[in-house]
Amino acid sequence: MLSNKHRFALLIALATISLPFAAQAQRKSPLADAPAIRKRFELRQTRFELGVGAGSTVNQDFYHTVLFNVRLAFHITDWLAIGGFGNFGLAQVATGYENKLVTSLDPSTPSNVNREPLRAGAQAGLQQISGIYGAELEWTPFTGKYSLFGKLFSAYDFYVAIPGVAAMSVKPAGPLGRTCDQAPPADPTNPDRYVCGVNGTKIGGTVAIGVHSYIGQSVAIGVELRDVIAQLNPSGRDVNGDLVADNNDLSWTNTWVVTANLAVYLPFQAKVSP
Amino acid sequence: MKRLAISLSVCLALVGVAATGHARRGGGGGKAAAPAADENAGGEGGGDKAAAAGGGDNSAPASESLDTTEQEPAKIDESLSEPKKQGPTTTLSWQDIVVVPRKAFLKGGRVELQPLAGVTVNDNLIRHFVFGADINYFLTDALWVGLQGQYFVKQLETQTELLGLQFNRTSTMNRYLYGGAFNMGYVPGYGKFALFNRQIIHWEVWISAGFGATFTEVIARNPADQASKAFKNTALTPNAGLGGRLFLTDWMTVNIALRDYIIADKYEPLAPCMNADDCKAHADSALVNNVMVYAGVGFYLPTKFTYKTLR
Repeated sequence: MLSNKHRFALLIALATISLPFAAQAQRKSPLADAPAIRKRFELRQTRFELGVGAGSTVNQDFYHTVLFNVRLAFHITDWLAIGGFGNFGLAQVATGYENKLVTSLDPSTPSNVNREPLRAGAQAGLQQISGIYGAELEWTPFTGKYSLFGKLFSAYDFYVAIPGVAAMSVKPAGPLGRTCDQAPPADPTNPDRYVCGVNGTKIGGTVAIGVHSYIGQSVAIGVELRDVIAQLNPSGRDVNGDLVADNNDLSWTNTWVVTANLAVYLPFQAKVSP
Repeated sequence: MKRLAISLSVCLALVGVAATGHARRGGGGGKAAAPAADENAGGEGGGDKAAAAGGGDNSAPASESLDTTEQEPAKIDESLSEPKKQGPTTTLSWQDIVVVPRKAFLKGGRVELQPLAGVTVNDNLIRHFVFGADINYFLTDALWVGLQGQYFVKQLETQTELLGLQFNRTSTMNRYLYGGAFNMGYVPGYGKFALFNRQIIHWEVWISAGFGATFTEVIARNPADQASKAFKNTALTPNAGLGGRLFLTDWMTVNIALRDYIIADKYEPLAPCMNADDCKAHADSALVNNVMVYAGVGFYLPTKFTYKTLR
């Protein structure tokens, strides 16, 4: 028979043995709950981004606007930024559709259909974009890196502009008898009844997606596709079918813009994550 | 007292054995700290937890391994020469971390079946929705050949209606019926991204070019002439595209693409014509860029793949 002292000694020994096994049973993968990336450069967090580049409207009916692009953002966290942009119109490029349409119109002889414009009148009424400006929150859900031809490696991020506020300044392509704010002539044979100048600043909304491809820690190439939604009238003519051109013909219109820029990040040196 | 001493010695020996084994397997203890990636490595998109491959493409091998002691710093050679046989109860450890993780998805020798849907993005007057499928065979992981079939559904844009109201004009248009193409593709870029720094997803970007035909039909300027003067046309259609694949599982990808179909089409002539044959004989020819954005889901056969190189 074991004495009490022996029983006590064995009990302590068994408890001691069981401790490591109990600890091991509770052990889980060292990779569990670990962040996907360690020791990475924090390329965005608490950094300013200043970008300068160029762009163009796309998918326009009559005129593409070539734009000078400026972009400023502050990245509050790795995934959230507040940003603003300015796209300043540099040149207007007529689309193929505009060329075909305008050249199909008679240059000098009025039609017996009152609403059919002469060539110059049709062209003058077409709306052009002078500039697009806006501010927004930007969300960066994806970050990573890629290789090109297995040789060039670059970090990148993908961001989405959470719907922001935009302003678009527009003007007619040529001189017109009146703006859309002014009352139309009552005479149905007066060509000014069917066209008006769409000008001024139109307030709307904007959404965008874009990517940054980083060159080192402080410079990135950015490409962005943006949709600006504002009340416009690209033709400057009757839209609602009342045979009069005025502000009632403005409608919510999507204007797509593609821009590319070179961005600099401040401070130049990025922090390294734990 | 002697028996007590013996029993305590046996117990201590058992404790020692258990503790040693535990230390070798890496449980608990002070060495269970985070993996020590190279301080100079950093970089976006380092390790790949999904592939049990932490560290990073730019990271040095972890020097603080849970499986190795200070006296045994390198176990990597062992795993290269003879893969370690692990029992079914073995869990991941730092030794599973490799410097450069393997690609998450291999395509060489596999067939991709891709149902797809898309839409025209560059036509002011008529929009086409496309439904179709790709069947691609991957010669290598980066090169493929394939066939594509398309069925189109048309939708007239608002501008088509406004053209008459605003300018007293009507447009010359064709609708696309269906098409097919033989394509070749190449993958120049491969990447991965971290989703909120929690999950790694791999992707690739591809370029492609091909040749095919599109079957089109004239939409008569005067709707009353549609039955008598509209004709069909088989238009040669070279195409070029840019797209990407997002690897979801070993056998499934989500694909997006932007493809320009350059259609050598024939249109209703401006000069009057008598009937469909006469209109076709005097048709106006034009090259039309039909730029389409489409998305698809790629299913791969066989559904599994085997790595040919050592880890």
